Amino acid sequence: MLSEKVLFALNNVDDSYLEETRELLDRSAVSQKPAKSRIVRTILIAAVLAALMAATAYAIVSIHQKRQQELKADLKIEEKNVNSYTEYPVPSQSSASGVTLLSTVNDGEFQRVFVNVSPVKKDVIDRFPETVAFAWRLDGMTLNGEDYWMTAGPKLKSGTSVSGYEAIREAVYQDAYDEETETLTLECSISNDAIAQAQAYENSERVHLTLTLWDRQAQADANVGLSAEWLGSQEPFGSVWIAPTDQETRYFDFHQAFCRDEESDREIEIVGLELTPFSAVWKVRYDLAEQFHQPNADWDAYKPWSMLEDKVCIEAKLIFSDGSAFSTGGALNTPFENGIVNLNCNWESAININDVQRIVLGDLVLWEAE
Amino acid sequence: MEDTAIVDLYWQRSDRAIPETECKYGGYCHTVAMRIVNNHQDAEECVNDTWLGAWNSMPENRPTYLAPYLAKLTRWLSLSKVKARNRFKRGGGELTLSLEELDNDLGEGTDLARQIELKELSEYLDAFLAGLPIEERTVFLARYWYAASIREIAVKSSCSESKVKSMLLRTRRKLKTALEVEGLC
Repeated sequence: MLSEKVLFALNNVDDSYLEETRELLDRSAVSQKPAKSRIVRTILIAAVLAALMAATAYAIVSIHQKRQQELKADLKIEEKNVNSYTEYPVPSQSSASGVTLLSTVNDGEFQRVFVNVSPVKKDVIDRFPETVAFAWRLDGMTLNGEDYWMTAGPKLKSGTSVSGYEAIREAVYQDAYDEETETLTLECSISNDAIAQAQAYENSERVHLTLTLWDRQAQADANVGLSAEWLGSQEPFGSVWIAPTDQETRYFDFHQAFCRDEESDREIEIVGLELTPFSAVWKVRYDLAEQFHQPNADWDAYKPWSMLEDKVCIEAKLIFSDGSAFSTGGALNTPFENGIVNLNCNWESAININDVQRIVLGDLVLWEAE
Repeated sequence: MEDTAIVDLYWQRSDRAIPETECKYGGYCHTVAMRIVNNHQDAEECVNDTWLGAWNSMPENRPTYLAPYLAKLTRWLSLSKVKARNRFKRGGGELTLSLEELDNDLGEGTDLARQIELKELSEYLDAFLAGLPIEERTVFLARYWYAASIREIAVKSSCSESKVKSMLLRTRRKLKTALEVEGLC
């Protein structure tokens, strides 16, 4: 239709028109003078602040404990008998600022570290994620010899899928932010490679995690181009030491099972499955695999093979003792190592890996408990 | 970091090119994508594809203004994503609304309209926009290029929503007339 075509054709308009429009959209809304009632309220707040201090200290301990309970339930730690989870004692004498380590879980490829950070003002949440983010780093973690930071996300309930900034903020208020104590619960996904690098640096099992606020607007205003430099210059929320939680894995050997697509006349061997409560690695093998899993691969030639890879991850079912079935879902990445394609899948809430009774792909039984 | 320095990094095939671009224009491109795809994950994907597009298109290109260069990449990828999912009229969000507004005034188009090349249409649109008063042009592009909401445009341009709506209506009618003159509508 013409209107659709106009939308596409508009893409080539003169750059200067786009810049003048961007200038308009970048304008801040006009600020309003504070009303008298707000000034009166400020005085009142100051007057009762001292009385609230003691209550706030108690509330912070409570929010740490509350979040730990919520995390355990959300991740199904007890329900699914997960061992690869560590919960840390929250301090009895909490200060009103800093980082509090809540728990860590090993999901195979990553350590998921949950922390509370405070104080996080409400206006910061109101700017997330457009101009504000949260960042973490491990001491000794470098990329090409330089320090770097990764972003941490507010911990939303598993399975939450929201669209649009307003909806994201609403979910953060609902699940991760406690306005009373100005505490935000964050999740840091730390790769095993980063942990290993930090352990080598510390020469210790434990690694040092630092969290900070990433105010992109302030960074832009300060005209500091390098984010690592900017983040390193900011006052962090604080730091904690963490010892990585051990992985809990179960391996299934399929003894030469094959997945075939008649239409494309292609077949791949499903070698095995490495399963953790939060992730799976399907191991598959076929003749041309190596040439498709490297830069500049021929995507058209790879397509029928990739569909077979997807078929394994998505259509295979793990069957549990209560008869329920679970699909690991599509692979997030597919590295090729030692003649095997590793289809890495993960999910948010745990499954009980010791309760798997059968693994099937359509009519094909890949594995069955004796 | 200045745009020219970032472009230099692309020309040098430096590892810092994409992180520096992301640092300076990540938020901007994300906003462009988000308004179109109306989904946080899809927007992230479009922005990541934008960095890849920038990496692949430079050093061949040497844009003077990096922001519109990247934004065009992001917008094109975002529109293509929506089109690929056949969600132009079903996805909700500002893109659907702005498309419906254009439909109302431009109609469904003719066979001739379907045949014309995007490049040719782009040239007509560029000439059309050049002839508009600056205020009208920025409001039109805010709505149909950036897919900003009527409310946002009203707030940012310090005028009422009804004024924005009537300005857009007038511009769409002018566009329809211009395209009719060219036999495209």
